Amino acid sequence: MTRTPVKVLYIDDEENNLIAFKASFRRQYEIYTAKSAAEGLKVLENLPVEVIIADQKMPETTGVEFFKSITHSYPDPIRILLTGYTDIAALADAINHGDIYRYITKPWNDLELHNSIKNAYDAYRSKIDLRNKVKELEKTNDELNRFIYSISHELRAPLVSVIGIVNLVKMEGLYHSSGEYWELIESCSSKLDYYIQKTLQYYKNNKTVTDKAEINFKKLVDEIIEVYAYNNRDTQFKIDIKQDDVFIGDAFRIEVILGNLISNAIKYQKSDEREKIVEIAISANKFSAEIAITDNGLGILNEHLEKIFTQFFKSKNNQGSGLGLFIVKEALNKINGKISVSSNLDYGTTFKINIPNGI
Amino acid sequence: MVPPSKLTSQMAFKVDRPLRVMLIDDNIIDLKINSKIIGISKLFDDIILCQSGEEAINYFKSRYDETDQLPQLILLDIQMPEMDGFEFLECYKELPEKLKTNTIIAMLSSTLDFGDTKKAEANPYVIKLLKKPLFITHLQSIFNENFIVGK
Repeated sequence: MTRTPVKVLYIDDEENNLIAFKASFRRQYEIYTAKSAAEGLKVLENLPVEVIIADQKMPETTGVEFFKSITHSYPDPIRILLTGYTDIAALADAINHGDIYRYITKPWNDLELHNSIKNAYDAYRSKIDLRNKVKELEKTNDELNRFIYSISHELRAPLVSVIGIVNLVKMEGLYHSSGEYWELIESCSSKLDYYIQKTLQYYKNNKTVTDKAEINFKKLVDEIIEVYAYNNRDTQFKIDIKQDDVFIGDAFRIEVILGNLISNAIKYQKSDEREKIVEIAISANKFSAEIAITDNGLGILNEHLEKIFTQFFKSKNNQGSGLGLFIVKEALNKINGKISVSSNLDYGTTFKINIPNGI
Repeated sequence: MVPPSKLTSQMAFKVDRPLRVMLIDDNIIDLKINSKIIGISKLFDDIILCQSGEEAINYFKSRYDETDQLPQLILLDIQMPEMDGFEFLECYKELPEKLKTNTIIAMLSSTLDFGDTKKAEANPYVIKLLKKPLFITHLQSIFNENFIVGK
C-alpha cells in the first residue's frame, strides 16, 4: 500500500538539530524545518502539516508560546515539545495551554521520537476521521429535519384539505347521504393525521435542542382542551391550577406531554359512562410543577402498566398508535421529568408528572 | 407606532357592510373549501380569492382610490411557492397606511411547527394563527373579537 508520507514540521533555532533530525527521519517522513516560530508559521500557512515538533528553548518565541499562538489558527496538527532539560514550569504550561501531545527530552532517542511521531499521526487521523463522521452525522440529521418538515407540510396539507371537505359535507347535511362512507373517510383521515402528528412529535423530541420559554399552565391547558375536546363535548373537565411563580420550561415538550395525556384521558373513556370526567391538577412553584391527570375511564390492566410507555405497545381493545405514551416518556427524559401511573380497571387512571422548573 | 391591527386585536372596531374577506392560498382546493365554509358562515358579503401573495399585494395597490373594495380580514396561508405568508407580511408592511387601516390579518395554515405559531403571533399585523381545517366557530370568534358591524 502506498501512502503519502506524514508531513512533519520541526522548529528549532539550532541548525545542527534540524540537520540531525532530517538525517534520521527523511526516509520515513516528509520533513519541513524552520529556525524560528515565525518561519514555522510560514510553513503552516502554505502546507497542511500533520505533526509539529518544536524546541522549547528558542530566542524570541518559545515552543510553548508558539503552540499557544496557533491553538485557534491551526488546531489540527499534533504537537510534540522538545526540550534540553526538564523544565517543570514549561512542562506544566505546555500541558495546560499548548495542547501538547508528547513531551520529549533532548537529546532525543531516534526510536522514541519515531514512535511518538507515528502515534501523533494516528491521533491526527482519528481527530480528522471523527470530524468527518460528525460532519456526516450533521448532514444526515439535516436531511432528517428536512424530511420532517416535508412530512409536516407536503403530506399533511392535502390530508387537512380532505378533513376540511368532510367538515363541509357535514355542514351541508350530506354526511349521511352515502351510507357510512363519509364516516369511514373521516375516521381514516383523522387516524392518518394522528400518525403524522405523532411521528412529528417523536422526531422533534429527538432533536436535542430545548427551547426555554415561560409556561403559563392555565393558558396551556385551556388551549390543549380546546384542541382535543373539540369533537367531544360530553367530557367534563375539572381543572385546578395553582401557579404562583414564573415557570421556565421547554414549551414544545411540555405541550406534547400534556397534550398526549389529556387526549388519552378524553379518548379512553367508557362509552356507556354518563359522567365522563377528566381532572387536571397542577401545582407549580419555583422548584417544580406537580401535575396529575385523572380520568374515570376504562383503566389499564395491571400487567399492562409496565408496558404502556414502550414503543408500539397497544392494548388490543383500544385503537392507539402505540406512540403517545412512548413520546411522553421520551419527552420527560429530555427535560428531567418523572412520571408515574396508577390505574383501576373500569374505574380510571391517574398519571402523575413532575417537571423541574428551569428558572 | 403601534400598527392598526395590533390595536384592533385588543378591541373590536366598527365596520359597515358589505364586509369582504380575502383568502390568500396557492392551493385551489383549499381556496374552494374555505370560501364554501365562509359562505356557509354568512359572516362576509364578498370573498376575494388570491392564489399568491403577489396577486394580493397587486389587488391592494390597484385599489388606492377605491379603498371600500379592500377586505376587512385577510386569511393568509403560510406555505406558498415564491412568496410565502411571512414574505407577504413583509411586502404588506410596505403598503401605504391608507390601504391597511381597515384590515386585519389571520394566518391560516396546516402547520404543526411551533416556530410558525410564534413567528405569526410576533408579527404586529397578525391577530391569530388559525389551523386548517377552518371551522366556522373559529372564524366566528375572530369576527366577534374584532368587528362590530354597524348596519
